[in-house]
Amino acid sequence: MRSLPAGDPGVPDDRSATRYLIWLAGRQKLLFTAGILLGVTWMVAQALMPAAVGRAVDGLSHRDEDALLTWGLVLFGLGVLQAVAGILRHQCAVRNWLAAAYRTVQLTVDTANRLGAALPRRVATGEVVSIGTSDIDQIGHAVDITARGTGAVVAIVTVAAILLDASMPLGLVVVLGVPVLMAVVALLIRPLHRQQHAYRDAEGALTGRAGDIVSGLRVLRGIGGEPVLSARYRAESQALRAHGVRVARVQSMLEAAQVLLPGAFLVLVTWLAARFALDGRISPGQLVAFYGYTAFLVSPLRQLTEAVDKLTRGHVAARRVVRLLRLTPDLVDPARPATLPAGPGELVDVESGVRVPAGRFTALAATAPEDAAAIVDRLGRYTDSDATLHGVPLRDLALATVRERILVADNDAHLFTGPLRAELDPHDSADPAALDAALRAASATDIVEALPDGLDSRVAERGREFSGGQQQRLRLARALVADPETLLLVEPTSAVDAHTEARIAGGLAAARAGRTTLVCTTSPLLLGHADHVIFVEDGKVVAEGGHADLYDGEPRYRATVSRGED
Amino acid sequence: MATMLPVADAAQVRRYARTLIRRHPRALTVALGLHALAAAAGLAAPRLLGDLVEGISRGTSRVTVDRIALLIAGFVVVQAVLVRFAHLASARLGERVLAQLREEFVDRVLALPLATVERAGTGDLLTRTSRDVSALSRTVRLAVPETLIAVVTVAFILGALLLVGPLLALPCLIAVPVLWAGTRWYLRRAPAGYLRENAAYSDITDGISETVEGSRTTEALRQQARRRARTDADIGRSYAAERYTLFLRTVFFPVAEIGYVVPVVATLVIGGWFYLKGWVTLGQVTAATLYVQQLVDPVDRLLSWLDELQVGGASMARLLGVAGPAAGAAGSATAAGSPAVSGSPAASGSAAGAGSAALSGSAVGAVEGDRRVVVRDVRYAYRVGRDVLHGVTLEPERGEKLAMVGPSGAGKSTLGRLLAGVHAPRSGSVTVAGRRLDTLPLAELRSHVALVTQEHHVFIGTLRENVAMVRPAATEADVRAALAAVAALDWAEALPDGLDTVVGSGGHPLSPAQAQQLALARLVLADPHTLVLDEATSLIDPRAARELERSLAAVLKGRTVIAIAHRLFSAHDADRVAVVEDGRITELGSHDELVAAGGSYAALWRSWHGTP
Repeated sequence: MRSLPAGDPGVPDDRSATRYLIWLAGRQKLLFTAGILLGVTWMVAQALMPAAVGRAVDGLSHRDEDALLTWGLVLFGLGVLQAVAGILRHQCAVRNWLAAAYRTVQLTVDTANRLGAALPRRVATGEVVSIGTSDIDQIGHAVDITARGTGAVVAIVTVAAILLDASMPLGLVVVLGVPVLMAVVALLIRPLHRQQHAYRDAEGALTGRAGDIVSGLRVLRGIGGEPVLSARYRAESQALRAHGVRVARVQSMLEAAQVLLPGAFLVLVTWLAARFALDGRISPGQLVAFYGYTAFLVSPLRQLTEAVDKLTRGHVAARRVVRLLRLTPDLVDPARPATLPAGPGELVDVESGVRVPAGRFTALAATAPEDAAAIVDRLGRYTDSDATLHGVPLRDLALATVRERILVADNDAHLFTGPLRAELDPHDSADPAALDAALRAASATDIVEALPDGLDSRVAERGREFSGGQQQRLRLARALVADPETLLLVEPTSAVDAHTEARIAGGLAAARAGRTTLVCTTSPLLLGHADHVIFVEDGKVVAEGGHADLYDGEPRYRATVSRGED
Repeated sequence: MATMLPVADAAQVRRYARTLIRRHPRALTVALGLHALAAAAGLAAPRLLGDLVEGISRGTSRVTVDRIALLIAGFVVVQAVLVRFAHLASARLGERVLAQLREEFVDRVLALPLATVERAGTGDLLTRTSRDVSALSRTVRLAVPETLIAVVTVAFILGALLLVGPLLALPCLIAVPVLWAGTRWYLRRAPAGYLRENAAYSDITDGISETVEGSRTTEALRQQARRRARTDADIGRSYAAERYTLFLRTVFFPVAEIGYVVPVVATLVIGGWFYLKGWVTLGQVTAATLYVQQLVDPVDRLLSWLDELQVGGASMARLLGVAGPAAGAAGSATAAGSPAVSGSPAASGSAAGAGSAALSGSAVGAVEGDRRVVVRDVRYAYRVGRDVLHGVTLEPERGEKLAMVGPSGAGKSTLGRLLAGVHAPRSGSVTVAGRRLDTLPLAELRSHVALVTQEHHVFIGTLRENVAMVRPAATEADVRAALAAVAALDWAEALPDGLDTVVGSGGHPLSPAQAQQLALARLVLADPHTLVLDEATSLIDPRAARELERSLAAVLKGRTVIAIAHRLFSAHDADRVAVVEDGRITELGSHDELVAAGGSYAALWRSWHGTP
């Protein structure tokens, strides 16, 4: 057996959901085939057990001691075979399940990485996340049930053959009756599933409500409202309880039906068999065996129903995965990417007229924040434009080259979970001095010091244990450690206090000395430290110069950046 | 990183489970009784089948066969009816117990002292709220009834077996040591194994969410390889955990399966030998064999639910570990005789009046002279030996607007929390009307002082509920006035369903700025005499924030406002400014005084407000 997890998931067949499922199964050919064979052995061993009991009883009725012992041993042997085949089958099933699920996870992550910034535009994030939360389960189940379902089919055929051989009419009653019975139960089950589904949704909503209370606990402590929230939770909890009782009402009917229908059928078969036995058409042992088979058949048939259900769900899940796998990024590399001269170069946004001189610390103040964001998107090639670097249009370059030379750091940048040290050092430079300098320039040293394990502390999901201002400073530090040739910063101090803003403004230019930097900001503290300030109104450059000159000479600039008395 | 919340011990869990059962003695008796009757009815068939086989081998009449078949049919019908009612009764009971469990837990969470929450982080609490409540739900709704049914069924089958022939029950005992040892071995290892498996699995899920949410950042910082490495690491951990539980099952399942088949074989062969010896009849052997076979299903169910029961027990322990209101600030409030600060022993009498006013949901009843929060020489440390406040004294005037500025980490927010009674000082005192804030009942405390921080949260519910939650008795006009005071009424009315729009997680999204306005509207409605605003407008556009603060100031006329601000215009507009540095107040005075004094505030102001 191949060891999991596969390092390379391989190239998936994304032509259709069914082909994807077949591809997944095909990747595990050996294990998959073994699963089917073991599933058959397991089921058939179980199927033969009533026969052994019947033969033993027959032996007894003839007072045949040897037959009793022989069939007793056969029964035991079948039990052992069933147990061994069962666990081996389970081993295959789990491994098949995991391989399919893990492979899908890897492909999902690879696709998300490939799509990058385009992902949120191409597909709702919730849809991709649901691949992780439920679809991988469904796909795993679908691959697993295929093996089990095949075993069930073989078992049913075997039992049918034995029964028909023993008594044609009685065999027919069982062979035809049991599927009808199963179909009736399956029909009854449907409303229950609907109810259960609705109940799970309601339960999820209530859990969400409790989680909401926990998340808002700090806010509540400041201002109150606990009795209101408690009362609301109680009301919803009681509603869920009533819902649960409604589900139970449907389910209790079904439980009763599951006793009544197979029970009634069992009685019918037993009664017919008893009469046949009385007439001498079958032996008393066969009577016992018929009873056993009828009871046994329920299990493989249930597996078949389960298989249909799981394959359907797996198909739906696979469809979602395939849809994701087929997505392509917005921006494609040119067929023959241009080469870019080494070293820093001027970055130009043709549309607005913004020119970011090489090796200097430039600031951009826009009357509307959206204008600044659009300019940065063009300069960083997150949207297609005529922007150039070193005079070379960005669209003629490979995207990887652009990303390597230009880093856009905005306030939506994600803080990933993991050790803080690694998070702050995206390219594993492992240079403690650089890290330290970046933290100081971002005025983030105190954040690290306050952590119990310093840089070795773990960043929680989305950095939620840090305040907004702390997250912003950590993001800035990370951008500085990455040390790109050209760094485009968007409002890097919007969430920090005045003192900290002053400290960052003082250190940022020095930290980027000799590199190309553009800061989009309306903070006079930052603007005052820039070598050069560009003022943008209505998406176009309207003035350039030093902060002091613009402040004195441009009333609209003053109005944009001034925070003093009105 | 964070210290975990405590976990209740086994004795506490048992005690709680017992009290839960004792609350519903009748319902429990009825449910168990019905299950017992249903199980008994289910035992008739094998016995009667035994009679059939016996009769046929001795050559009986058709009438007897028909009668026996009819009898079996009758028992099946009775069993079905009993199963229906038994199931409903136990589900009803389960739902009731479950509702109580989760409601009591949420009430305990709501009474949890903030310091405890902060020490543990909300992550642990969130896990308990979601994962443990669902695990327990599964246990109470499914595992407990299934286990009870299985136990009752096993007991009855054994009883029936003894009735068929005590001798024939003996071969069964062979399986007991096998199953006992196997189950014991498995149960000792399984819960930890499955917990690890689930945790690893949710790591994978979380990893995907993160990859998706951060896809732009991944591209910008070229983190693709790292995301992939993280995924492979998660998968590796998950696989290790899965392999361990698979190993446990690989040992336990075959042992259990063989444990099931051995008694059947033994009953058949040994029973057959007894028959040959003439000690028992053929019918007895058949019935006994069928009974033993029938034992397999309930025993298997029993064993497979056992680990679920264990998981439920562990979840219950974690839920009970979230201490009740007996601990911390909320609880000390109920302690008799809140200690008055020395020097104002007469204060407690008048404060009691304020307390009863607070319960009616309004601060208006508070005695005029009491309406000042006074901070005297306070020290505070989050961790022992590391004070963040070093003897701060602050006496805001009534109706004054006091701004606190200073570098982050200087202790402003800590001081704000002390002022709002969220934390108690390590030494020194924070008092209102001579009574220490940390000894006041929560409702009374809120009538004096409220805190709004930059951390905002929009609760799931309508916009109206989100505002009115601080004062359930508030009228529609009150809510609208509060929204208008924070310039939020316009956009609130423009929402799809106006004030009835469902907001919060999963509802209509609000921008962070709108969420902050909502928090301030709550504050206006709560109307305490002292307000602490910790960067409460930081997420609102600077220009709008200033207007908002001004309109808020008009509404809050006569209230004492202590504002921690990162935008200096708040300081500029305040009556007094306190500069907090390194846990001390280093400058205190009006904006003009401080600018004239030429200290650190003056320097900051000059650079901040834009003058080059």
